[in-house]
Amino acid sequence: MKPSTPRAAALAAPKQQRNWDWRAAANFICGGAGGGLLLAVAFAGIETPAARIALLLGLALIATGLTCVWFEIGRPWRAMNVYRHFATSWMTREAVVALVVFATGGLALLTGMRGLIVLAGICGLAFLYSQARILAANKGIPAWRHPASVPLMMATGLAEGAGFLACVAAWFGAAGSSWIALVLVALVALRAWFWKSYLVRLDDDGAPDEALKVLHGMSSRLLLLGHAAPAIAAALAVSGAPGRGGWLLAGGLLTVGGGWFMKYTLVRRAAFTQGLSMARLPTRGRGVPGPQVKPGWKSIQGAKAG
Amino acid sequence: MEAAQPKSVKHVPSYCYNCVSGPDLMTVKVVDGIATEIEPNFAAADVHPAKGKVCVKAYGLVQKTYNPNRIGTPMKRTNPKKGRNEDPGFVPISWDEALDIVADKLKAVRAKGLVDDAGLPRVAVSLGHGGTPSNYMGTFPAFLAAWGDVDFSFGSGQGVKCVHSEHLYGEFWHRGFTVAADTPNCRYNIAVGANVDVTGGPCAVIRHADARVRGYKRVQVEPHLSATGACSAEWVPIRPKTDPAFLFALIHVLVRENGLNKLDIPFLRDRTASPYLVAPDGLYLRDPQSGKPLVWDENSATAVAHDTPGIKPAVAGSFRVSKALVVDADKERREYSDVQGKTAYEMLSAHIEKYSPEWAETICDVKAETIRRIANEYLEAASIGETIVIDGKTLPLRPVAVTLGKSVNNGWGAYECCWARTVLAALVGALENPGGLLGTTVRLNKSRDNRHLSVAPGEDGFMVQYFNPTSKEEWQQAPSTRNLHQTLVPIVGHNGAWSQALGPTQLAWMFQNERPDDWSMPMPTLPEVWLVYRSNPSISFWDTRHLAEVAAKFPFMACFAYTVDETNYMADVLLPEATDLESTQMIRMGGTKYMEQFWDHKGVTLRAKAVEPQGEARDFTWITTELARRTGLLDKYVKAINKGISGVAPLKSEGYDYSLDPAGDLAPEKIWDAVCRAATLSLSDGREEHDLAWFRQNGFYTVPMSRLEWYLTPTMEQHGLRYELPYQERLMRAGRELGRRLHEKKMNWWDEQLSEYTALPEWHDVPGRWIANLEKAGAKPADFPFWLLTTKSMQYHAGGNAAIEVMHEVAQNLRGHAGVIMNANTAAGLGIAEGDRIEVRSHIGATYGKAALVQGVRPDTLVIIGQFDHWATPFAKTMEAPSLNSIAPMSLDLTDATGSGADIVRVAVRRMEGRATA
Amino acid sequence: MTRYVMTIDLRRCVGCQTCTAACKGANATPPGIQWRRVLDIESGEFPDVRRTFLPVACMHCGNPPCEQVCPTRATTKRADGLVAIDYDLCIGCANCVMACPYDARSIVHEPHYAYGDAPMAAEAKRFDPARVGVSMKCTFCVDRIDHAERSGQTPGVDPEVTPACVNSCISGAMDFGDIEDGASSVRHLLAETQHFRMHEELGTEPSVYYIWDKS
Repeated sequence: MKPSTPRAAALAAPKQQRNWDWRAAANFICGGAGGGLLLAVAFAGIETPAARIALLLGLALIATGLTCVWFEIGRPWRAMNVYRHFATSWMTREAVVALVVFATGGLALLTGMRGLIVLAGICGLAFLYSQARILAANKGIPAWRHPASVPLMMATGLAEGAGFLACVAAWFGAAGSSWIALVLVALVALRAWFWKSYLVRLDDDGAPDEALKVLHGMSSRLLLLGHAAPAIAAALAVSGAPGRGGWLLAGGLLTVGGGWFMKYTLVRRAAFTQGLSMARLPTRGRGVPGPQVKPGWKSIQGAKAG
Repeated sequence: MEAAQPKSVKHVPSYCYNCVSGPDLMTVKVVDGIATEIEPNFAAADVHPAKGKVCVKAYGLVQKTYNPNRIGTPMKRTNPKKGRNEDPGFVPISWDEALDIVADKLKAVRAKGLVDDAGLPRVAVSLGHGGTPSNYMGTFPAFLAAWGDVDFSFGSGQGVKCVHSEHLYGEFWHRGFTVAADTPNCRYNIAVGANVDVTGGPCAVIRHADARVRGYKRVQVEPHLSATGACSAEWVPIRPKTDPAFLFALIHVLVRENGLNKLDIPFLRDRTASPYLVAPDGLYLRDPQSGKPLVWDENSATAVAHDTPGIKPAVAGSFRVSKALVVDADKERREYSDVQGKTAYEMLSAHIEKYSPEWAETICDVKAETIRRIANEYLEAASIGETIVIDGKTLPLRPVAVTLGKSVNNGWGAYECCWARTVLAALVGALENPGGLLGTTVRLNKSRDNRHLSVAPGEDGFMVQYFNPTSKEEWQQAPSTRNLHQTLVPIVGHNGAWSQALGPTQLAWMFQNERPDDWSMPMPTLPEVWLVYRSNPSISFWDTRHLAEVAAKFPFMACFAYTVDETNYMADVLLPEATDLESTQMIRMGGTKYMEQFWDHKGVTLRAKAVEPQGEARDFTWITTELARRTGLLDKYVKAINKGISGVAPLKSEGYDYSLDPAGDLAPEKIWDAVCRAATLSLSDGREEHDLAWFRQNGFYTVPMSRLEWYLTPTMEQHGLRYELPYQERLMRAGRELGRRLHEKKMNWWDEQLSEYTALPEWHDVPGRWIANLEKAGAKPADFPFWLLTTKSMQYHAGGNAAIEVMHEVAQNLRGHAGVIMNANTAAGLGIAEGDRIEVRSHIGATYGKAALVQGVRPDTLVIIGQFDHWATPFAKTMEAPSLNSIAPMSLDLTDATGSGADIVRVAVRRMEGRATA
Repeated sequence: MTRYVMTIDLRRCVGCQTCTAACKGANATPPGIQWRRVLDIESGEFPDVRRTFLPVACMHCGNPPCEQVCPTRATTKRADGLVAIDYDLCIGCANCVMACPYDARSIVHEPHYAYGDAPMAAEAKRFDPARVGVSMKCTFCVDRIDHAERSGQTPGVDPEVTPACVNSCISGAMDFGDIEDGASSVRHLLAETQHFRMHEELGTEPSVYYIWDKS
């Protein structure tokens, strides 16, 4: 066996988390979009076949995410233990909500009843919220625990839901309903706003340098491709430009793509741990004590509790 | 937390002596016959200064026991060709066959005679670090004693990896083979490269931690911020190998700027040679009748013999002496009349004048104001005049010490450092007084277990010291060992294996290949049989690739082997011995031993067999007894055991007789049972007797010891003796005589070393010797702009545990393990980033490792931790760790007069292709 | 009420990793998994440099974020302040790993050994299949603390019921005991010294106190 050689210098500094890989990221990526889509369907009022497809897609997205997670956990055959801590665990709550989502969504699919579609939509929103709170409850990851991550995750889930809905609508030739495009533009704008706000607040409150580097590094690409581009596409769809269905489809896909890119980055690449620090350096004999040391953090005032 | 419910759980007491800072006490947890954990032995908390705890190394012993890469059976070589690229083709053989092969070789040697035509022993033995193997090799010392002449010349690093000059001069000046601060009482410690928090063992670590909390100040003077530096109050990043200049400047501040009146005058007057009068020719002025050195008696205003009762010798000053004589080399006497004699202190004062802090700043790259402040802090902390009561006796309290580390303490410049720091202690009365600078053990004198017993009157009012003779009649002109220790190094003496092993060990390796042109002694021969235990010189010495080639030429080599390693790769026979947890042995503990092992108790401790040996490994004592039997040495061997050579007390003494019968049962348990009984009876003056079974339960036995045993000065006072400081007339004479002898044989190759024999050490360009060596080798100094140093690691230091996975794992939590430590700014200038693979090249080769960038190292210095670069040892060879040893040359030019060298080499550094990966 | 805490005197620690190795031995953690370790942290610029050794492990928080997020209640905070994991309940979702701001937790998905694929005798003897695929961390040597209940011994005083790291520390940097007990050494030590707890601003209320100077 070849010995591994971690670097001592890096041990105290924030480290990129390695426990939640693409499978866990997929849960946030798909699940959030699925929850958002269920909500979007509930308010869309599109014709039943499209609604059913969208509903099915929403449920499938959520199921895909949860399946991915099931493959990631260390003891998959004990997965039912996930229901044991509703009092404080957002993961338990997510799992509970997931049951209700599938129940209501399934019934809605079977019956096509408007009330059930709305109920499923509300559950989708709850699922999305649970996921946002799962992330934010993780005090070990400063980029997640920041309170601004919750509205950001919500906003992107909703935008992705609208994006998917736009795609379904375009697919079903319902591109005429301009309001879908308008809502899409609005949600993309909202997400952009929450993104900027998240970044500014994270900067202010402090986060590991590497996390900030990753987030700032992707910000302009995210705003351009994930926000400006889908907004323009959706606007073109509204404006009645030729191929409006295509524009709507493009707007939807870009919105989803942007959100997924952002979430993948957040869950994987920007997920640096808190790291370890010393509030004071010790006195060594008749020497003098030293000031705070917080490796990997430029701002040492410390992040706020999430 | 075992998965399955254990059937039996035992806690077996034992000791760890993997490095010289032992023994420390521990217990082995054994579950259903399998060793699972190492734990402290809290039963020893009251007697062991480290409270029954062991350091990190001991926690690797479980893996050491069950390492699947162990040699499981005796093996013999099937490939007659030897070399790094020759697979030895080891095949398993029976113990009978293995022992017969070795015994036959030994018997053949005995038949021919122990010494060959060149006068050199035909059998060579190499043992590892600092005497530690003797704590694991059972009765093997008794076998060696029974054997007779053995060459211990082929060192595995002793002389260059130890604190060599301290061993020699420390023992000479104050019976300090190892020297430590009296940390429990110390208030100010200038540690010049002394990495005590890494190498001092648990006793030192807890004492220094206590001292820190108490508020002592330690100033760490070293080019790289070691763990010890990290724990010090102040770090002074001195330029490598300029330590003598720094220390000279401290003396300057004390002597020239503060002056005698602020120093400890009674100590200088009564306990040192400061008042001895020195003639203008540099020799002591002596009484014409008695030949004793003269002092100036202030009472009678006359020069009188130093030991005249009722006198008050002047410490400083220059005095007119009407009649005197001097004794030069080869006892040449010259008579003087009406001659001006300066006291030795006066000589020192004049000598040190030129070494001001301002001067030192230009050499050491340490600001003069810093040097001056440190000197003055030292003087103030010495609190001259203060006393302390210890066990009812009032002694001076002088809580200051200058401690020295490896590479400061060996090679060129080390003599100067040892001298300066001992003089610094003497100037304030801190030498061998409470709080001050203590020797803790002796090895070149007897008794090894009580240095006070080695104090006896010698020449000129000083302690006796058995120099190797340099007179025309007695000088050993045909060396008796391959490292020429008796021929070349007077001060190392001839006290058995220790004196031998402390000779110029690299010469033994170097001269196998080539000798100086004007060599006029018998040509060194190869040893016919080489026995190796716990020693891997092909990794732990220098120029290791070349050394392995030399070892490959040895005709027969038998190694006690744990795993295959870089040295036993050339072996003919491998003998797997039962390791730490698998075998039985009793040793002494407590009293005053190496480093900071000075206790309030003394006694014995048993390494009890905790688990059955793995595979076919056998207890070392069993192996030894079998070798003795098969070589026909059983009687002598048993006699040596009975004498107490392997144990702690003779097996027969007044009131008891446990002596063994060569014809009787000599099972290891039988032998150690006798040792246990004799030891306890001897320690308790016949009051208590405990057998092996008792020790297996209890682990150790102690009796209280007075703390007065820590301090030599009261003993010196008792004998009316003086420390041979500050003036080194005897060394100067010995050097002159040695020079004459060598020159008479038309040999000048040791002339540079002879320059070290000075009465008052001068600064010479110590770092410049390495530059000059480069130039001599045809290299351009500018091509090798950095210093490469080593530093020790507690996880590995002396443990022989490079093959232990858990040590590697935990060591990685500390910076630089398996890498090259360099200054981050320097690295940036060279385009080197953290983790980049870099080449460190000297003029003899290159070594490779990952860059570990730090601020805590001088910009001109690189550091490689420990000794690695393994190519045969399983696990270790996969580490890809660099080593200074691979690229440090063995060179006569870099060998000092004691035969020592230093771990330092000039290097170039460059980034290898490809960036670091995460 | 009992609340066990650990004090770590940073003035004493020399970074030797004895506690790291002792913990690995006491808890039979697989290669690469360290429930505690001592960090080697450098600050400043040459020549004004400090190097400090920082032992870290589970902080056994009074308000443990890991416990809050755990969906299975495998992680619990005990009445005596210890944060414990029930390996039989844990599903290995790693949410607690993310929630812990002290890098204290880890999950091992496959058994692995010091030397290759096969366990050594000592590893085989102590292999616990229950610890594969679940969250692990420093337990404050909970078995010993529980044993104290039965034996009437006092953690922090009697080595048999004191965490292995504390027992092993050769610099005397670590102490352990009940902070609610007015007679405990940790209580006295904290009264006499200046100390901090790591990331206190996160509201976790850690049970590990770092001493940095006398008071």
